Amino acid sequence: MAKEIFMPKLSSTMEVGTLLQWLKEEGESVEIGEPLFEIMTDKINIEVEAYDAGILLKKYVEVDDQVPVNQIIGYIGVADETIPDVSPGISGTEEVGMKHQAVSAETSSLVEVSADNNQQTEKPRATPAARKLARVNQLTLTAIKGSGPNGRVHRKDVIAVLEGATTSPKATPLARKLAAGEQIDLAAVTGSGINGKITKMDVVASTPKKETIPVPATRKKMSGMRKVIAERMAHSAYTAPHVTLTTDVDMTKVKELRASLLPIVEKQTDLRLSYTEVLIKASAAALSRHPEVNVSIEGDEILQHEHIHIGLAVAVPGGLMVPVVKDVLRKGLAELTQAAKEIGQRARENKLLPEQLKGSTFTISNLGMYAIDAFTPIINQPESAILGVGRILDKPVAINGALEIRPMMTLSLSFDHRAIDGAPAAAFLTELKQILENPFELLV
Amino acid sequence: MATREITYLEAVREAMSQEMRQNEDVFILGEDIGVYGGAFGVTRGMIEEFGPERVRNTPISEAAIAGAAIGAALTGMRPILELQFSDFITIAMDQMVNQAAKTRYMFGGKGKVPMVLRTPAGSGTGAAAQHSQSLEAWMAHIPGLKVVQPSTAYDVKGLLKAAMDDDNPVIFYEHKLLYKTSAEVPEEPYSIEIGKADIKREGTDVTVVATAIMVHKALEAAAQLEKEGISVEVIDPRTIVPLDKETIIDSVKKTGRLIVVHEAVRRGGIGGEIASMVAESEAFDYLDAPIKRLGGKEVPIPYNPNLEKAAIPQVPDILAAVRETVKYK
Repeated sequence: MAKEIFMPKLSSTMEVGTLLQWLKEEGESVEIGEPLFEIMTDKINIEVEAYDAGILLKKYVEVDDQVPVNQIIGYIGVADETIPDVSPGISGTEEVGMKHQAVSAETSSLVEVSADNNQQTEKPRATPAARKLARVNQLTLTAIKGSGPNGRVHRKDVIAVLEGATTSPKATPLARKLAAGEQIDLAAVTGSGINGKITKMDVVASTPKKETIPVPATRKKMSGMRKVIAERMAHSAYTAPHVTLTTDVDMTKVKELRASLLPIVEKQTDLRLSYTEVLIKASAAALSRHPEVNVSIEGDEILQHEHIHIGLAVAVPGGLMVPVVKDVLRKGLAELTQAAKEIGQRARENKLLPEQLKGSTFTISNLGMYAIDAFTPIINQPESAILGVGRILDKPVAINGALEIRPMMTLSLSFDHRAIDGAPAAAFLTELKQILENPFELLV
Repeated sequence: MATREITYLEAVREAMSQEMRQNEDVFILGEDIGVYGGAFGVTRGMIEEFGPERVRNTPISEAAIAGAAIGAALTGMRPILELQFSDFITIAMDQMVNQAAKTRYMFGGKGKVPMVLRTPAGSGTGAAAQHSQSLEAWMAHIPGLKVVQPSTAYDVKGLLKAAMDDDNPVIFYEHKLLYKTSAEVPEEPYSIEIGKADIKREGTDVTVVATAIMVHKALEAAAQLEKEGISVEVIDPRTIVPLDKETIIDSVKKTGRLIVVHEAVRRGGIGGEIASMVAESEAFDYLDAPIKRLGGKEVPIPYNPNLEKAAIPQVPDILAAVRETVKYK
């Protein structure tokens, strides 16, 4: 009995999911827990793992299809199992019959269009003799290329696969080891030894010279996360008129603050307090004093948020995620350190929970670890402002008519001019600068 | 056992004559089988040896001939009736189907109908639609009748002996074009078991099951295909009821491919029965190509000699079918 694959419901509000990509092809075998497909919800994009082991028998939906939650989007089972030609609808409900009609009405045009493709995805054509041989040797017919009409698998095709699997070219043990190390296919090497046996020299001769290999241009389909980032960045850049303000901040006192709190926080949490947490805390304080920056545009209304939830842009392999620290105002630096470190870690391990990715009202993007001073961050919508953080660098500054060396940092604030005007944004950034230059103010 | 080459026609006559010499109960009846010797001359000379009591000319009524033979058989005689053309079996059919085939069963084995209905079948003589048919599948459908289709002079003598010895009604088809073919045939009487196929040629790549005249066409095709490196096994079932399933299944298990060839119209022909039998059998798992049936076209046999040939499978058709079947071997 084939097992259903359905669109998971990842949050209480999720009604549809968009299929970003299949990570398995029809006919491929799947293990429990292997990533099977990637979806995007209104909140996140996530890889969905297989609940069952077997062969991916059918994919009913294609990339970019929007699918209602719990709709059956495929089947996992054993080869040759019969499964419906179109998705039977919603999984595990009494209303399958009813929903089925609605779904098939929606998808009927799709089915017609892809009628040609279906030929490849039908049950494999094979003669009884080929089927038997494959069955006895536990081969999957779909994995065998048929030489007969319409790709029909004959006995000899199965034999070819069997022989290919069991007989590898003759080679000396050393040649084999070398080839494995260099990832050379022994079948492609001509043997010069007795009876065509492949020797060490043959492998060495066919080892490609590394220096001479030109790096070819590559073309890769945008993966789920990349695609989401692309869409969201473009949408923000094209809908929100961005204005970026910059200011230099003297970080002398923050450095002192951090140095004195470092052992205390470390004792409490086993974690090291970083500038990021101080920036989160300071931004929240500034936002509480300038609530007109803590806003979102919703339709033709401007929503001023009740809470201050701060998103942290985290670089992850292949992209970027913005996990959220909630209710920053209520948290002390130790608690913030714990929260920020945890979400950062989870983001890099791709283990963020959906609720850790939603609800931010303001974002901080810190490039201070690079040789970056200022930049023009793109707003993480639906927020209306984002703070870009540059590196802390000792610079000469004029203090009371004298030249002094101070640790200086540039802050870049991008804001959505539809919701926020220049003066309030400048007032907010000035406020933030003052808090950072006199962090004891946070105690007030 | 001494043999000599005689024709199929002579072998049929010899089988009957030898049996009639040793068994007083055996007699022949049919239209013009006396002095004229029958439509194809099979009984020529027999009336001189056995007299008009045992070689009986009948009125032109196949129903009457069949009815008289069945009656004689029921009362202890062992009649052989000859129909001039197998097409006329339709007129004898009520007697054969509703009386001859059923009597033994309906009387709980207390009555028996030991008779042979001999009749020339098939096309190729320019005898047109009403004198050229191959209707053996009709008779094969009726439980209680045995159906024999010998393809060589050797087989026809031995099978006719077995048919005459059988206590059940046997429909004995003689293909008109085979009458003039010859083979080494033993002089002494001998019997070939009814229900035993003969492997006319051994091969490994494809099994061709052919009946009657098609046996010879299949053998001709096999000889040509051998030059192309294709090894064809030709099986002649010889009797289609009972059918020697085992020989056919074993052959298909060996070759993995099956082609059935008969002259009768393909639709509803015995080829469908053989193909289905194989598909249902343990040979199924050995099939490595779709089963093919070659049979007559769905038209009455035309009078025009070219069209007459085109209406039934010929050697090139068998060649093409084999090549296609073994293409992916």
